[in-house]
Amino acid sequence: MLYEAETVRRAFEMFQVLTSTGKAGKAHYHLYLADDAIRGLINEFVKSVDCDLVTVGQELLLIPTVGDSPFHVSNEYLRKTYLKSGASNADLYLLYFTTLVLFGEFYNSYLSQEPTRDFIQISDWVVAVQQRIATLKEHDKEDLKSLSVEFSYNWQMIIDKWDSMDDLKEQAKKQSGNTISRLSFLDTVQRFLVDQELVQEIGNNEITLTEKTKTIIQRYFMDLDYNRGILEFLYRMEAGKKEDACDADNLEN
Amino acid sequence: MDIYELTTGYRERFTRIALFEPFHELKRKTMRDETNKKIDVVGMGLLCLLYFFEQKLGRNTKAGVRELAIFLEMKTDAVYSLSPSKWESLSRDVLQVFRPATGKRYSVTYMDWESGQEELVSFSFFKANTFDVKTNTQYYTLDDDGLELVFATKEFYSEFQLSINQLLLRKQLEKGEFKDALRRINEMRIDVESLEERILQLTHELKRNITSEETFQRYSLLIEDILLRLSMEHEEFEALQEFVNETKERLYYKDHTKKENEAYALILQISTRLEEVHHQHADLLHACTELKMSALQAAQEALYFVGIDSFNFDQDITSSIISTPLVLESIKGLVSPFLSLEQTKLWSPLTLFANQQIREIREEDKTTDFLEVESKEEQEYAMLIRNQYTILFSLLLEYMEEENIITLDEFILYIQHSSHIAMLDARIFYDFFLLLHHRSPILRNEEEPSEETHVLDGVRRLLENRELEVVERKNILVPNKRYSIQNMEIQIKEIDDDVI
Repeated sequence: MLYEAETVRRAFEMFQVLTSTGKAGKAHYHLYLADDAIRGLINEFVKSVDCDLVTVGQELLLIPTVGDSPFHVSNEYLRKTYLKSGASNADLYLLYFTTLVLFGEFYNSYLSQEPTRDFIQISDWVVAVQQRIATLKEHDKEDLKSLSVEFSYNWQMIIDKWDSMDDLKEQAKKQSGNTISRLSFLDTVQRFLVDQELVQEIGNNEITLTEKTKTIIQRYFMDLDYNRGILEFLYRMEAGKKEDACDADNLEN
Repeated sequence: MDIYELTTGYRERFTRIALFEPFHELKRKTMRDETNKKIDVVGMGLLCLLYFFEQKLGRNTKAGVRELAIFLEMKTDAVYSLSPSKWESLSRDVLQVFRPATGKRYSVTYMDWESGQEELVSFSFFKANTFDVKTNTQYYTLDDDGLELVFATKEFYSEFQLSINQLLLRKQLEKGEFKDALRRINEMRIDVESLEERILQLTHELKRNITSEETFQRYSLLIEDILLRLSMEHEEFEALQEFVNETKERLYYKDHTKKENEAYALILQISTRLEEVHHQHADLLHACTELKMSALQAAQEALYFVGIDSFNFDQDITSSIISTPLVLESIKGLVSPFLSLEQTKLWSPLTLFANQQIREIREEDKTTDFLEVESKEEQEYAMLIRNQYTILFSLLLEYMEEENIITLDEFILYIQHSSHIAMLDARIFYDFFLLLHHRSPILRNEEEPSEETHVLDGVRRLLENRELEVVERKNILVPNKRYSIQNMEIQIKEIDDDVI
């Protein structure tokens, strides 16, 4: 299809706004809906950087797709920006892990599409993570060690990281300092999430989800198409794991 | 008998019943005061609601557990005796019934005999309003359901609250009860504000939730309802406004003798307040019309969007990763939709040839201003110090009337034998001499008008035409257990104006 230069220019402008802020406002939204050519172009641009575009109210939201992609924010960047200087990728994965647990604490009912709670105490979050880690521990250690594409980090390391964090110092009054405790780690995670506008502090060590998070979960994770993609991704991971295991068996034989 | 018709609106009815559930929970709590008297916890719950309602009326955002405790103590300390910490824990307990500390919404499961299924209603009575980072204190305010509950204890529902208030206001104005009318207007303001919040919430919900024709129908019905109500209230507001204006004019003309100044002032106040609320309400009408538009838009979107009926992040995502467990990298993949894209910062060597910014970039030019004494408190403090210094210096001058040169130890000895001995216990005494030494020689007032030494203004005044010089000595004095100071020699020089 042939595009006019003007169309391409406008589409690119919109795309630029999307990539720099993650969303585009009313004017862009109407343009996107009205102009087929621009919509086509934008969709193509967005796909090519492994993202999806979701229309929410009168806004466009750019959402990175589920899965690993070179266009998404890199581990290195996050590590440098949000974690302490000595942090490894294992720390970062623990951060991801605790984030997923946090969202799970809010959306844990099949009966309702809305969050089941208004806020969560950080200490309750610690307990929730602790439970998940306990479940993980029930798996075979060797399994946990092998389940990674790279050798530098694996599930076992995450478990060890969490376990090695001191919970003796949890009684100290201020936890945001340098004590390596679970609370202080979650404090770091919280700061990361606040910076990404995913959660909001409401005082008394309580945090709540922002509209952005709710929108992403309810419009992206709960969308039939996207949800299928997410589940596919999970299955692929599972299948890939089995293949790996088969390969390993073959090698042994 | 139509047994289907019988149960219509079962959910709403049950919600009304469940609204009172916190009181049943409070009833189950038993607390005793120090004289082993049983505390009426249910009453405390109601007092708590009323207190926060009053705070909302007065637009006070800083009401937390401590403030509630003070109120409860004031109200009931004639009956119960408790220590301050007990009062606080009591009010915390009461508040936590309404706002569970786990963050889970206050919810009640019940059997819905209309749909034949088990259903859940959840409430939010209180919400965190603001918080003070310094003291880590959280302040609360009544949420939607909390307001509903307050109104439900007064036999009408919050939906009709505004119209009822309008009606009452008119009656009160007719009777000339202007004081009560003001309060009525404040209550109306709360109604409008809670409506405002509900509409905002609805906007968010619309964005996230319209997934099917059915939900769209539900929402558009809701919006229609609100719109109808709003426009009715709007008309009533206009009528009220007119009525108030008439009353105002009547009062103005009738009252030739100007006896009822107070009443006239009140009606003026009522008129402006009412206008404010009316304006706020009119904004809502506009917002609601916009909401209707975006609901339509959302419905349009819903044509392309198919939502899934049941999704449980905890089960479907978090648990499925760890129960198998999946490859570790998968969790990054799942978090990525929430994250922003990476921003690459580039720098081109060509910028070297571009126009250069020569001026140094400073955060702020701080040197242009004099050092300012910032707040009133500090000013008061500086004043206090200055007065103290003046007193000290007058003592010193008194002692030096005979001799022009003295040493500090002599002066301290003098003080120790005088009635001012307590001065030696205060740090300000030592600060004063350190400052004198630091500023020495101290000249006449005109000669060194420095901003920083304004605490010595009084000293300068007392010095008149003389000069003060302070030179340190070697030995250290310990006139007090806490303080020690190096000895110094203090000299006052007379300056003869004729010489200059």
